[in-house]
Amino acid sequence: MTLQAAEVDRETRESIKDFLYRESLALDEQRFRDWLTAFAEDARYEIPVRVTREKLSEWELSPNSRIFDDTKETLEVRVKRLETDFAWSEQPASRTRHFITNILVEPTERADEFRVLSNCLVYRSRGDETTPSLFSAQRRDVVRRDGGGWLIVHRWAALDQAVVNAHNMSIFI
Amino acid sequence: MSTTTISPGLRQLLGEMREGIPGGRVPARIFNDQEIFDLEQDKLFSKAWCFLAHETEIPKKGDYVVRYIANNSIIVVRDEHGNITANLNMCRHRGNMMCKSEMGNASHFRCSYHGWVYKNSGELIGVPMFKEGYEGQLDRSQWGLVKVRTETYAGLIFGTIDPQAPDLEDYLGGFQFYLDIYLKQGLGGSEVHGPPDHWVAETDWKICAENFSGDGYHTPVAHQFGFHLGYFPSSGSTHSEGWAVNIPNKGHAIGLGHTPGMPAFFGYPDELVEQMHQSLSPEQLEIFSKTRTAVGSVFPNLSFLIQPFSLDPGEPGVRFCTMRLWHPIGPGRMEMWSWCLVPTDASEEYKEAAYKAYTLTFGQAGTFEQDDFENWIKVTRAAGSTMARDVEFPYVMGLERPKLEDFPGPGHAVSPYVTDTNFRNLWSTWLDYLTREE
Repeated sequence: MTLQAAEVDRETRESIKDFLYRESLALDEQRFRDWLTAFAEDARYEIPVRVTREKLSEWELSPNSRIFDDTKETLEVRVKRLETDFAWSEQPASRTRHFITNILVEPTERADEFRVLSNCLVYRSRGDETTPSLFSAQRRDVVRRDGGGWLIVHRWAALDQAVVNAHNMSIFI
Repeated sequence: MSTTTISPGLRQLLGEMREGIPGGRVPARIFNDQEIFDLEQDKLFSKAWCFLAHETEIPKKGDYVVRYIANNSIIVVRDEHGNITANLNMCRHRGNMMCKSEMGNASHFRCSYHGWVYKNSGELIGVPMFKEGYEGQLDRSQWGLVKVRTETYAGLIFGTIDPQAPDLEDYLGGFQFYLDIYLKQGLGGSEVHGPPDHWVAETDWKICAENFSGDGYHTPVAHQFGFHLGYFPSSGSTHSEGWAVNIPNKGHAIGLGHTPGMPAFFGYPDELVEQMHQSLSPEQLEIFSKTRTAVGSVFPNLSFLIQPFSLDPGEPGVRFCTMRLWHPIGPGRMEMWSWCLVPTDASEEYKEAAYKAYTLTFGQAGTFEQDDFENWIKVTRAAGSTMARDVEFPYVMGLERPKLEDFPGPGHAVSPYVTDTNFRNLWSTWLDYLTREE
């Protein structure tokens, strides 16, 4: 990627930023049904498995292993689960705070879609545990114009830890 | 090799546990205790056959992964002759770690401290300043990497650091019969789908190992959403049905859950079922064809699960297979590796469907996995509390249940599936290791 500013107009960039902030707010407020509406019907949601490798290796993010490997349909399965009384991993619910920074918007081959890079730090506090889980990730989303708003077509988030310091991932990045 | 001395208090606890197990009593304290952890490192993980890797993780010459036996970092490699070999991940010169990555490919390993070079099979072949410094007076054949004994079964590579350990075949003691449901899914066997999920949890490994030795009892409650939403083809009213089998005094165990009325081998593609009729024996087919859930463990800490998952409630769905290693790194703390195993000869389409079912259920973000660890960290925390030190748990389920004499497989089989029978054998085997005199 070039170090020069992207050829995306300011209004589009601000509008996408606003959308991503609202999307993460829905997660932090546990409005998971609302959150699902941020995704296009053909959306993919992926978190690859990271493996510690030598510096010049072909890959460090596994090309075929995923922590999340979801479609909108399976994201809805997760949300339906959270809506039951039996989602024990979120009973009581995690308190999360998504910090989304360093947002860069790039054009794609499609005029109505943009690639959005962001840094994402998720703080998760559970119950009376005084040690939070911290998930630091780089996100590479593709968003599509939808009327006056936006839809996520692809969420790709790569965690910075190869050994994840959390007993589960019952939250979304 | 054993250096740990057992305190009088611990000796008493283990003695009481020995007396308690036949009557179905196990002390809570063993599930989170520093002394127990130390003793396990010394007398269990330094004596048992420990799982290292699946052969398909290192398919090519030079491929390696780094794993553990107890707290020892071990390089598992396919050498330049295609042989699998394992060595301690420590330079013989001053002890630096040789491989700092989890996996890779290398014909040689070069230490980043003083530059000693080893073949990937462990022989020392290069020493800087061999003439100037050592004046040729270093016998390189004596200073290779420290070897670890390995053996394999159907793709599983195990290692032991006990030179006196029995052969792997003897150690598994007939459990191979049941492992085949996971490892001989078709004529080509099974392969890892990719690198494992890898995380840490404030959980004692034993809670997980017990659960995967056939705890069908927790499923309708801990994973109630799956029943409730129809993703899991079983019902609370029939969920106890099936078999529990263990290998006496070896610790290995499996739970084989049934769903009445489900067709044989449901959730597998037809071509794979045809192949299994060749890869499995008639006795295995009789048992496995009826099995909905196969949840089993190789003692001490390698587990497997096959189960179907369906996105369409009421449908058989797709079978996935996970293999997982519960590696202790401290009392009440563990490192977790979780793989998805897929049938090597299955279509790419089936492999992908099975993998997606795995990530949605038993990967780190899996909907079943999440709930298990949430419970297990709480068990661990409670077990480490002072009052729990005097508390016992009941393991009396199935205490009077007779052994099935006409069961077609090896080991001690009982029915129904929901029972503590496997766990009494697990903890008595564990106790055998911890109290064995040198």
